[in-house]
Amino acid sequence: MNKITAEHLNFYYGTHLALSDISVEIPERQITALIGPSGCGKSTFLRCLNRMNDTIRGTRVEGHVRLDGQDLYAPETDVVELRRRVGMVFQRPNPFPQSVFDNVAFGPRVLGLDRQPGQSLGAIVEQSLRGAVLWDEVKDNLKQDALGLSLGQQQRLCIARTIATKPEVILMDEPCSALDPIATLEVEELMHALRESYTIVIVTHNMQQAARVSDWTGFFWLGKLVEFGATQDIFTAPRNKQTEDYITGRAG
Amino acid sequence: MEFAKAPGLTKRWGEFAIETIIRVLGLSSIGFVVMIFLFLLREGLPTFWEIPLNNLLGTRWYPTFDYFGAVPLVLGSVLVTLLAIVIALPLGLATAVFVREIAPPWAREILKPVIEVLAGIPSVVLGFFGMTLVAPLVREVLGAPTGLTAFTGALLLAYMALPTMISVAEDALDTVPKSYRDAGLSMGATQWQTIWRVVVPAARSGVVTAVMLGMGRAIGETMAVMMVTGNAARLPLSLDSLFRPVRTMTATIAAEMGEVAQGSTHYHALFGLGIILFALTFVINLAAAATIFKKRRRGGLR
Repeated sequence: MNKITAEHLNFYYGTHLALSDISVEIPERQITALIGPSGCGKSTFLRCLNRMNDTIRGTRVEGHVRLDGQDLYAPETDVVELRRRVGMVFQRPNPFPQSVFDNVAFGPRVLGLDRQPGQSLGAIVEQSLRGAVLWDEVKDNLKQDALGLSLGQQQRLCIARTIATKPEVILMDEPCSALDPIATLEVEELMHALRESYTIVIVTHNMQQAARVSDWTGFFWLGKLVEFGATQDIFTAPRNKQTEDYITGRAG
Repeated sequence: MEFAKAPGLTKRWGEFAIETIIRVLGLSSIGFVVMIFLFLLREGLPTFWEIPLNNLLGTRWYPTFDYFGAVPLVLGSVLVTLLAIVIALPLGLATAVFVREIAPPWAREILKPVIEVLAGIPSVVLGFFGMTLVAPLVREVLGAPTGLTAFTGALLLAYMALPTMISVAEDALDTVPKSYRDAGLSMGATQWQTIWRVVVPAARSGVVTAVMLGMGRAIGETMAVMMVTGNAARLPLSLDSLFRPVRTMTATIAAEMGEVAQGSTHYHALFGLGIILFALTFVINLAAAATIFKKRRRGGLR
């Protein structure tokens, strides 16, 4: 099953073509990694999947991105609803300067999830923190300032905050690049656990990470998707010369 | 050549002179403030032993007959200032949010300097505008006997406090990292929810500072207030006194200073009002500084 499909996607910053003719199918409940050198367009592509690029002035999209067959860039698409279904974790942990509880409760409060029958805010928060494997570390003091947590904890809090809105897809934009190796490991383990219930797309600079965590890998180069396939194939038997050069460290 | 000395061994006299000048200028500005403060104390403190306390705390300010009840004046100042802030806060915050978060860049480029120009309008001009336009309007709309009321004064003060409040609040919103906005939007919050639940709370201490600074500006304002509040030293206790004339400390000092004999009890009493005013402003500024300090200490990852 494909969750997201991109069809001949072009993306412009002003007049600069940042993505050209990207077509890809991203499978449901699997982890898809996007790799490539800096500036190759992989983060830009990721941000096309929840239309976060809309917040940058002067950007333009051509082509289609479909979520369960529905065109994200159709005029009638509700961006707010889209982002509820496609959550995002950013490069640097960005918890709000509020308590741990309020951070996780933000989405449910805004979306009114806590007002649905059989749901309580406390339960959603606990469930989300458990889901992000952070509950045991913060359960004794949910009122503490989120900015007082370690960076690894902050990033897992951001993941908890994202899953609290019950998305279907989680986009991760280099989620470990600001973290130390131990915190990176925590987040990678978490991704494995999340794979059961969510479709995950992760952008990473770290090829070992892509090889470790993902089922599928796409290699971006100069705004083009050069190769896409099963992670194992990409890393052991790449079909494309550029891909091979990059993953063996000869280029990029 | 004469210049062929080893570098770094001779004292750099030019540098030394500049440093000295800067140091003297800096210290003298502190010195001036201290001297003004001491002068204020010297002229004002005698009030508190020349006039019995029960007279000072009385409700009648009628210096000709030795009534120096300062309570109506203090309350008058506080009332007009608070009312001004109540009017200015929602307007100022909304404008700051609009300028920073909603307006397109070209509108922001126009609005910011325009707002700063508003701060430069002389208060006597505003007072004149208040007397000739706002006061009659207030009178007609409220059907009051006079348009020169606490409310009219508060309207003008709110207008005067707005530029300060808007620019400080706008700066505070500007320091909120984009990553917070992204986080809010990426979770399916609308732009309004993101502004109201993420950006404004994150800028809270700056917004509080903006209010405090606006308040400091409002409480010390004299001319516009004197021109439109009617200047009746009544005790503003009931709700309808909002729409009656009041008299503030600043207006009292400005109006009466010209006609007192230097060194008289009345003269000292006016400086006594100055001390009270100074103390109030000082407390407000201190509170503003404290919130700024708290924000700095908080730090954290941005």
